[in-house]
Amino acid sequence: MSSGLFKIAGGTVYDPIHGVDGEQRDIWIRDGRIVAPPSEPDVRQDKTFDATGLVVMPGGIDMHCHIAGPKVNSARKMRPEQKRKAEKVIRTPNTRSGTMGSVPSTFATGYKYAGLGYTTAFDAAIPPLAARHVHEEFEDTPCIDKGFFVLMGNNHFVMQSIQRNEPERLRSFIAWLLGAAKGFTPKVVNPGGVEIWKQQPSGNVHGLDENVAHFGVTPRQIIEGVARAVDALRLPHSVHIHANNLGMPGNWRTTLETMKTLGDSRGHLAHIQFHSYGGGEGDENTFNSKAVELVEYVNTHSNLTVDVGQVLFGETTTMTADGPLGYYLSNAFKSKWFSSDTEMESGCGIAPIEYKNTSLVHSLQWAIGLEWYLLAKDPWRVVMSTDHPNGGSFLAYPQIIQLLMDRTYRQEMLKLVHPAVLERSTLADLTREYTLSEICIITRSGPARILGLPNKGHLGPGADADITVYTPNDDKTKMFELPRMVIKNGVVIVEQGEIRQPVTGKLLYVSPEYDSSIEKDIAEWFEKYYSIRFRNYPVPLDYLHDHEEVRG
Amino acid sequence: MLSLRYKADTSIPVEVEGLTPSAVRALSVAEIQRFEVFHGNRKVPLAEFFDVSGDPSDARLEFEGNLAGVHWIGAHMTEGEIHVRGAAGRHVGSEMTGGTIHVHGNASDWVGGEMHGGLIHVHGSAGHLVGSAYRGSATGMTAGTILVDGSVGNEVGLTLRRGLLAIGDGCGDFVGANMIAGTVLVFGTCGIRPGASMRRGTVGLLGANPPKLLVSFRKSCVCQPTFLRLMFKRLQSLGFTVPSDCYDANYGLYHGDHVTVGRGEILIRES
Repeated sequence: MSSGLFKIAGGTVYDPIHGVDGEQRDIWIRDGRIVAPPSEPDVRQDKTFDATGLVVMPGGIDMHCHIAGPKVNSARKMRPEQKRKAEKVIRTPNTRSGTMGSVPSTFATGYKYAGLGYTTAFDAAIPPLAARHVHEEFEDTPCIDKGFFVLMGNNHFVMQSIQRNEPERLRSFIAWLLGAAKGFTPKVVNPGGVEIWKQQPSGNVHGLDENVAHFGVTPRQIIEGVARAVDALRLPHSVHIHANNLGMPGNWRTTLETMKTLGDSRGHLAHIQFHSYGGGEGDENTFNSKAVELVEYVNTHSNLTVDVGQVLFGETTTMTADGPLGYYLSNAFKSKWFSSDTEMESGCGIAPIEYKNTSLVHSLQWAIGLEWYLLAKDPWRVVMSTDHPNGGSFLAYPQIIQLLMDRTYRQEMLKLVHPAVLERSTLADLTREYTLSEICIITRSGPARILGLPNKGHLGPGADADITVYTPNDDKTKMFELPRMVIKNGVVIVEQGEIRQPVTGKLLYVSPEYDSSIEKDIAEWFEKYYSIRFRNYPVPLDYLHDHEEVRG
Repeated sequence: MLSLRYKADTSIPVEVEGLTPSAVRALSVAEIQRFEVFHGNRKVPLAEFFDVSGDPSDARLEFEGNLAGVHWIGAHMTEGEIHVRGAAGRHVGSEMTGGTIHVHGNASDWVGGEMHGGLIHVHGSAGHLVGSAYRGSATGMTAGTILVDGSVGNEVGLTLRRGLLAIGDGCGDFVGANMIAGTVLVFGTCGIRPGASMRRGTVGLLGANPPKLLVSFRKSCVCQPTFLRLMFKRLQSLGFTVPSDCYDANYGLYHGDHVTVGRGEILIRES
């Protein structure tokens, strides 16, 4: 009789959540989940994969990337010159065709994540007005489970509730909006700054206590208000913050203030590398790393988590809900520019850029990212990301792993960047090398815990059977860019770089409870100001592909 | 010489990208017959559309027949010679870096798109976007020469970076738009907005009834530039007909486009 069991036999298992650090174990799978080994000795598995000598980890989780929605699609349309010359993704009997470049097409995105052993990814900035579009694109992004963060830091209803000092109204609205969009957690992007940018030419805020005109609130109040609401709603993940002044010399003070403002509230600071700069306002010559100071604060405050937003040298396309930043970058790089004003909700800026190792600023950005990984004491609270595609492509993750695990390689790379990096950052003095277990934490187990995903990032019974098997190699880039096998929900989706069965993956979303009397208030607001009717706004459950509600 | 006689009759595009003199040079006729080309979205052997004969070792290809539906002829070519006896489709000589292409008939759009070297001579007329940048590119054609004896369509020389385009008859709108450098000479009539947003480079409007220039161009002087005469001689040596009265004519020199760098020049024949 068929037992329905699939056994990954004898692999060297890394499962930091259960304290398993490179021990030889069997993993048993049934019905898409990991199960305990069968107790009766005569039960036989249907299928076995002999993983002897191979490394077994949970599937990778990218908790901050940009892979769907209107900004990503605009960026795709904006870069035909890059797509034309990029590697082609050719149709096979199992897979669809696609395009690459810095912003791959939907299906290609899914295949490439899976090819690296990643089985879950979260898009970090979705205007809820575009949620339907995102769900449609997600359905066409195979092999991975997906979720998204909902832009709220410049939402007019949010700011009005804060200004009126009505935290219950704010909380109910946030809960309603997450449920309506089928999103995962609130994201604040340059809180207040994007609104000012939308109001006046070259407008922005430059500190946490500047007034956001018309609404009479400050960035600090927005961060505090949303962070408290998220904690009160007991959402699985914290508020996800893209702090003010991204990329500006001297912005580390704003970042530190943002951390302090959170107080005891949970908070995730996204692409922290871009927020760790010393130096004078607008003066490139004084640009330096303040990673040490910020890491120190994060090390001693367990309510805070970060992802790095590592920069890698080469061409890419920046895309952000931070409208004024998009404008700044397009001027700095004299490149094309896309800007969008998303009604009551957000903004958006897109600009192609190129990170050069001959540039002092870009070299420092590269070094500051690595400093964050190497200085952070607790790997459970620092997550690998490139803020794909803003710092570089997710396809660079294997290279980052090598930079972290191999200090000789790191020193060699350090010789190729701008020499001033040696004086203006501590990278040259850092000798730490990540272990495989620590890599497993910053790419899987850590993000699973930070996102509040109980079934991800580990290999214990009950976990989703998302598993990556690697062939050990001293060259860590080689090891991590070509997994021996990738399993998604118990299905073998990739073997040695070839897509076998591209399953669709599912949507991960939250549906917090709220006082439904707020709906009348929101409905009036919609009828007054929005371009679409209130009843057409929420995304109904039957609009989604496979989905799973995550509870905090 | 390798002879490729087009024998198909299909309304679906045939794409022969990669079929260059250097790619087939060392191949046998049988191997060339199996060379894969696209018919719509289907890959098929070349022999399904062409009678292949001759010897490719001298890097000379002769296409024959009505190839108006055959695209990417000579694209990415690096050396050798291609002759098309009849009409040619889109993207003739696209991104080529060397060698010579002669089209003894009309060619469609995108002749020499983002070309980087070599010579294309269309003895008939050509379509839109001759010697142009592909959509999205920051720079277009960077070197080489394109000669069209007849007329051409719109957006010819778009974002041209270097190289020479000579058009024997009329051209459409936006010739030399967004040019960075290089030269476009039009010996016939010209559509509206020549040189719009051009940064540097030269557009010569040498025919009758030149259009009104954009307001962001300023007249500088009337002159008889020496380089024009040298260029005319060079064109004639390549087999391109230059009307004899062009040599001693007076040319009005206009600078622009002042909405951008403004160091481009448009020469308009005045006598």
